[in-house]
Amino acid sequence: MGDMLKRLSVFVLTLMAGAMVLGGEVMAQQYRSEPWQMGFQEPRSPSAERIFAFHDMLLVIEAAIVIFVLGIMTYIIVKFNSKANPTPSKTSHNTLLEVVWTIVPIIILVVIAVPSLKLLYFTDRTYDPELTIKVTGNQWYWTYEYPDNNDIEFDSVYVPDDELEEGQPRMLSVDSPLVLPVDTNIRILLASNDVIHNFAMPALGLKLDTTPGRANETWVSINDEGTYYGMCSELCGVNHGFMPVQIEAVSKEAFNEWLVSAEEEFGSNDSRSDEVVKFAAALGQ
Amino acid sequence: MAHDDHKPGFFKRWFMSTNHKDIGTLYIILSIIAAIIGGAMSWYIRLELMEPGIQYIDDFQFYNVLVTAHGFLMVFFVVMPAMIGGFGNWFVPLMIGAPDMAFPRLNNISFWLLAAALILLVIAGLTGGGPGTGWTVYPPLSSAEYHPGPAVDLGILSLHLAGASSILGAANFITTILNMRAPGMTIHRMPLFVWAILVTAFLLLLALPVLAGALTMLLTDRNFGTSFFIVEGGGDPLLWQHLFWFFGHPEVYIIILPAFGIISQIVSTFSKKPIFGYLGMAYAMCAIGVVGFVVWAHHMYMTGLDVDTRAYFTAATLVIAVPTGVKIFSWLATMWGGSIDFKTPMLYAFGFIWLFVVGGVTGVTLANAGMDTVFHDTYFVVAHFHYVMAIAAIFAMFGGFYYWIGKMCGRQYNEGLAKIQFWIFFIGVNVLFFPQHFSGMAGMPRRIPDYPDAYAGWNYVSSIGAFITMAGTFLFLWIAYRTVTSGEKIGANPWGEGATTLEWTVDSPAPFHTHEVLPDMTGKAPAE
Amino acid sequence: MVTTVTAGNLTVRNRRVGLMLALGVVAMVGLAYASVPLYQLFCQITGYGGTPKVGVVVEKATGAAAERVMTVMLDANVNKGLDWEFKPQVSKIKMPLGEETLAFYIARNLSDVAITGTATYNVTPFKAAEYVSKIECFCFTEQRLEAGEEMPMPVSFYIDPEIMNDPNTKDLENIVLSYTFFPSRKTASVETKDDNS
Repeated sequence: MGDMLKRLSVFVLTLMAGAMVLGGEVMAQQYRSEPWQMGFQEPRSPSAERIFAFHDMLLVIEAAIVIFVLGIMTYIIVKFNSKANPTPSKTSHNTLLEVVWTIVPIIILVVIAVPSLKLLYFTDRTYDPELTIKVTGNQWYWTYEYPDNNDIEFDSVYVPDDELEEGQPRMLSVDSPLVLPVDTNIRILLASNDVIHNFAMPALGLKLDTTPGRANETWVSINDEGTYYGMCSELCGVNHGFMPVQIEAVSKEAFNEWLVSAEEEFGSNDSRSDEVVKFAAALGQ
Repeated sequence: MAHDDHKPGFFKRWFMSTNHKDIGTLYIILSIIAAIIGGAMSWYIRLELMEPGIQYIDDFQFYNVLVTAHGFLMVFFVVMPAMIGGFGNWFVPLMIGAPDMAFPRLNNISFWLLAAALILLVIAGLTGGGPGTGWTVYPPLSSAEYHPGPAVDLGILSLHLAGASSILGAANFITTILNMRAPGMTIHRMPLFVWAILVTAFLLLLALPVLAGALTMLLTDRNFGTSFFIVEGGGDPLLWQHLFWFFGHPEVYIIILPAFGIISQIVSTFSKKPIFGYLGMAYAMCAIGVVGFVVWAHHMYMTGLDVDTRAYFTAATLVIAVPTGVKIFSWLATMWGGSIDFKTPMLYAFGFIWLFVVGGVTGVTLANAGMDTVFHDTYFVVAHFHYVMAIAAIFAMFGGFYYWIGKMCGRQYNEGLAKIQFWIFFIGVNVLFFPQHFSGMAGMPRRIPDYPDAYAGWNYVSSIGAFITMAGTFLFLWIAYRTVTSGEKIGANPWGEGATTLEWTVDSPAPFHTHEVLPDMTGKAPAE
Repeated sequence: MVTTVTAGNLTVRNRRVGLMLALGVVAMVGLAYASVPLYQLFCQITGYGGTPKVGVVVEKATGAAAERVMTVMLDANVNKGLDWEFKPQVSKIKMPLGEETLAFYIARNLSDVAITGTATYNVTPFKAAEYVSKIECFCFTEQRLEAGEEMPMPVSFYIDPEIMNDPNTKDLENIVLSYTFFPSRKTASVETKDDNS
């Protein structure tokens, strides 16, 4: 178990179909859940940090409630069993008590709701996006596009167990991961080509449905370089369990280098005829 | 009076029954059959998930069908028939002092519609690839394009029949409770179980027609070229989700409210005390019913709702904690100062409160839209709703069974064996579902037949829990069989001074006809 | 006998309650169906779900709003059932508030038969949608492309300067206008013979 716990593996970025030239091998941290994990994965985005901090507060309140009720139940079992207390009381009303146990939960809920709504508005908000990427769900793979960068577009397909390479975790690895720069406000547009899928990355606090016929928008800013793993989170048919999300977070410089090679590999070869473009431009005036 | 026990012949009695007790018995039998099928599916799922990799189910469509059918069976064919059709039919007329239900023949139709629905669902599961849509049946996955063939259509028809059955049953209960109470049995004197069934019936009546409408739209989308939910025809798949959850959220209260009622009866009986804060308890159930209709989109936080909508649904959902809190505290206050006999039904009541509190606080967690990015569609959600709704309801059903079986068949269960059964089941479900909180927080999605190796540990534990639960279930079946065939015969009231409701005033087993002379409750103390 | 009389009354009363409940059921089924047009109407009026307004002419921007430039990203999707290429002419345009602006997409039929398509659309962030008004759009009607035909798809729209008075959107400088082309379900989308669509 120990060696699986913190597997720092040498991760060769030639995974990306040889498109990425970063000067050979790079040490990459893998961010995913670990055996016997009981809580969240380490938060690695501003949203995730706030989500996890809020949950820590909530967990304390909830644990206190559960322990309180358990305590009362234990006391009742000890004190009010038929041997210890042969004659039952006949009390069936206490207005003050009833008011208290209505009001106190309301106060607790207000204490929860205020930071909860603050968190909601924070995670929703798209800051001035420095980069836009587009994610399209398909049965059963993801298509990633970089509309800001000459329409780089590629599919990201699950690697079956018998084709895994050294260091690739089972069920989570893809042939071409989504490459993103760290410390960048990234706007993510989500669409679907068939059924509803869900693009999810636990360590980044990222999750949103891809729905056919509409664009959804969310955002992320990644704190740490490394490889992030997630899975499709909406039942999307037979191979729902086998369309993982893999994000390769790299430095801004490495990202720009990757863009150059990726544009050659995946960029669109402009198929629009000049004539129509001119026609369109003429209409526009 | 002399023909109290005059019963018709076998066929007429069981196939054309208009007697509320016989129909109640039929419902309970149907529920047990469906529970064995639905339970077997869940154990098979846990067997596959015991270890990473694919062991037994290499057809993933079949896996999805198992997940879907398990949900449908447990909701529509196990919990609802047992609680509402079974205990409701048996004990609502007995508790309010009515000779039978208001519409006895309608009651018979309700049952046989449900039986037909169960058969249709089984056929749907065996047709073509089966419906692998999840019990939520979201289009476009459930559309003709992604689920061709008749399986989904048959599933829709099955739900239509089950829905019609429940609507007719609900109308019957409301009419019975409003019109047929014995003299002096005022609304505010009704036992809480009757209150629970009344509120549940109203929820059924308002929620199920919406499901029926939505299912019909889905059916015509699939077969007759309409485009209610089909994007390219101008429809919107999200409209389905709104309609489905407008039904679906009240549906979870339909499941748990009768459980509240049963637990209230048990707690009061074995504490030998009247219910603490009776009116608060009754109106808390009404409040839960009302609020249940305005929180549906908390199931849809991740579909792309705008932020103000999510903020509203977060706030509205948190409000539910108040009336449910009132119920928990009232049960505890009822026990407080009591002289408690720890008979098996009471153990199940304690177990219920534990499950409901744990599931309740995780519900508060899930209510927060801002955090749903780490919880939506993970095993945390699976753990939450099994605790708060599914297993809690099963506990209330076991509790209700042990509480009332003597009244239903005139023979008492074996207390020692039943206590063992309780402990096996209690340990089993907690070992089964508590670790799923951990897998879910670590990020494991629901509805997948295989999982990354890191989740292996807690999944193994969870599967062990499932097998303990299975042992508890079979022990229950054995106890039920022994009770009915050779249990000790008992008198009208086996529970003593705490059992104050009207069903304990008639013989055990309850005669074929009861309350033909209406009991006069005028001037009696409030119920409980 | 007293009981018989009560029973007779009871049957009538039971039927009355049963009838009222049946009406309630019918009303709820009606509500489910009514929700279809109501939901659409609700989306159009409030911009819910990112639905932009149609054909509403707005005032020219004044004051601070006149200086705000909104960057609109043009997003294009083609459903896998439609053998078309569909792209914006430019992926981003900058536009002042309150001024009608024309943008172009370009669609090309990659197949060798005529195909009719229809486009759905929305705006993100959803909160911005109620301030986006389309005057003319290729998405208002079905579009038919002959085999191999290429056609510009124009859309002209405003952004309401009111967007700066809404706390949800006042700092917003980037929005997305998204379209998805589907094969038409109303018109048989693939035709082998010419007709007037």
